[in-house]
Amino acid sequence: MNIWKASRKLLMLLAMSALMLGIPATAFASSATTGTGWIRLAHLSPNTPAVDVYLYSFDNSTAMIVLHHVAYGTVSPYESVQAGDYSVAMRAAGASATSQPVLSTSVTVAAGHAYTVAGMGPESGLRLAVLDDDLTTPSGQALVRVIQASLKQQVVNVKLGSTSLASSLKFASVSAYQAVTPGTESVSVSAGGTDANSSVTLAAGTVHTLVVLDGANGLEIVNLEDASGSGQPPLGGVGTGFGGTAPHGPGSAVPWLVAIGAGGLLALTGGLRLRRNRQLHAGV
Amino acid sequence: MPTRRPAAALALAAGLLVIAGGATGLLLTRHSTPAMRPLAAGVGALPAPTAPIVAPPQSTSPKPVAAPVSLTIPLIGVQTKLLTLGLTSTGTLQVPLLSQAGVAGWYKGSPRPGSIGSAIIVGHVDTTSGPAVFDRLDQLTRGNKIYVKRADGTLVEFRVTSVQTYLKDHFPTEDVYGPVPDPELRLITCGGAWDYATHHYLSNTVVYATEVS
Repeated sequence: MNIWKASRKLLMLLAMSALMLGIPATAFASSATTGTGWIRLAHLSPNTPAVDVYLYSFDNSTAMIVLHHVAYGTVSPYESVQAGDYSVAMRAAGASATSQPVLSTSVTVAAGHAYTVAGMGPESGLRLAVLDDDLTTPSGQALVRVIQASLKQQVVNVKLGSTSLASSLKFASVSAYQAVTPGTESVSVSAGGTDANSSVTLAAGTVHTLVVLDGANGLEIVNLEDASGSGQPPLGGVGTGFGGTAPHGPGSAVPWLVAIGAGGLLALTGGLRLRRNRQLHAGV
Repeated sequence: MPTRRPAAALALAAGLLVIAGGATGLLLTRHSTPAMRPLAAGVGALPAPTAPIVAPPQSTSPKPVAAPVSLTIPLIGVQTKLLTLGLTSTGTLQVPLLSQAGVAGWYKGSPRPGSIGSAIIVGHVDTTSGPAVFDRLDQLTRGNKIYVKRADGTLVEFRVTSVQTYLKDHFPTEDVYGPVPDPELRLITCGGAWDYATHHYLSNTVVYATEVS
């Protein structure tokens, strides 16, 4: 009886440890655990003079980041920030940090997401646009979009090789993202009689923004590499161990249980035999 | 039959002995022997390498950076040259051979460390008999420093933002290999339980780091 109770207990223990080994390791997305997203600031209003751009965490009156004397055509690198609410303010270059901003807007940063906050439009109608920047590419492809920031040519057509990226794209607007075959291609911007050409390299696994700007002469194309990853993501996990430092797991319980069972049988037989002998002797 | 009595007693005694032996054996073998990995972080710490540190890249001028040649993680005593790795015929990430388990490798299909994007470096956690280059990777925590030296002699400094362990069956491909908009690094090795049937670790440990600007 006790033996069976003990074995049952052991079996329960074994079952429980097997269950514990099977419990999956806690896994969180990187951006979810660190809780960070990205934000960058840009000046894309052709006839607006240079500005100072301020980034504030929602509940803080002291700026986290101040970019001084940001001129037309400037796009800052992405800053990694905690997910949450922020505000962006623009002041004339050199204006006091406590002065009333020319413009301000709020932006909510989600973990793992990226945003471009850009001053857009003509000076008379300047606004701060918050753009949602894509950070995913179809496997083996590149992602590209166009920001139209030329006031000289208010409507443009943009082609990558023979692929149309944007047609009749109006001043101060942004095209949708388009997945394209990676490679080096010519970009052409046409508007009325004016053309601009450039060559861009779009690698697999990268996200690009092409910005059409007013140049000193005609139009200018700026190629921004927004994000980059593995063009061909490896499949599944990575086999990076040979087990030499792995804890040695418990061996099979079967031989021990068999031994216990056999011992039990032997003891039982012996015990019964003894009892019978005693009964026989008692009978004599 | 009095002659049978000693035999029966003997059987009973022997049976009980076998039960005791079996139970003892069972109890003694239910515990796993502990892993061989040293636990004290900071033992064998290395000084930070010195070389010109370059400014982080700008998205407006994505200048190509030089290929990575070596990796230093002072806290856990890692100092290794870097191999260049590709994909296997089945599309999984190539890893260093057993004979090169002391060396890590950079996946050439990922961005170069210090350029915009998520650069991938992998190394083994152990060999068949002892620790390998990344055996103490799981001891890194947020804020620890990682250095990558490049072919032009420049150095990129990264800081750990997070350390995660994932079951290989649920490997977060997008988080690890997907595009990011700033210069980042992911170090990958094995972790979790060792599967005695397939001779593979069931999990991967991934260290996420971003360039110090």
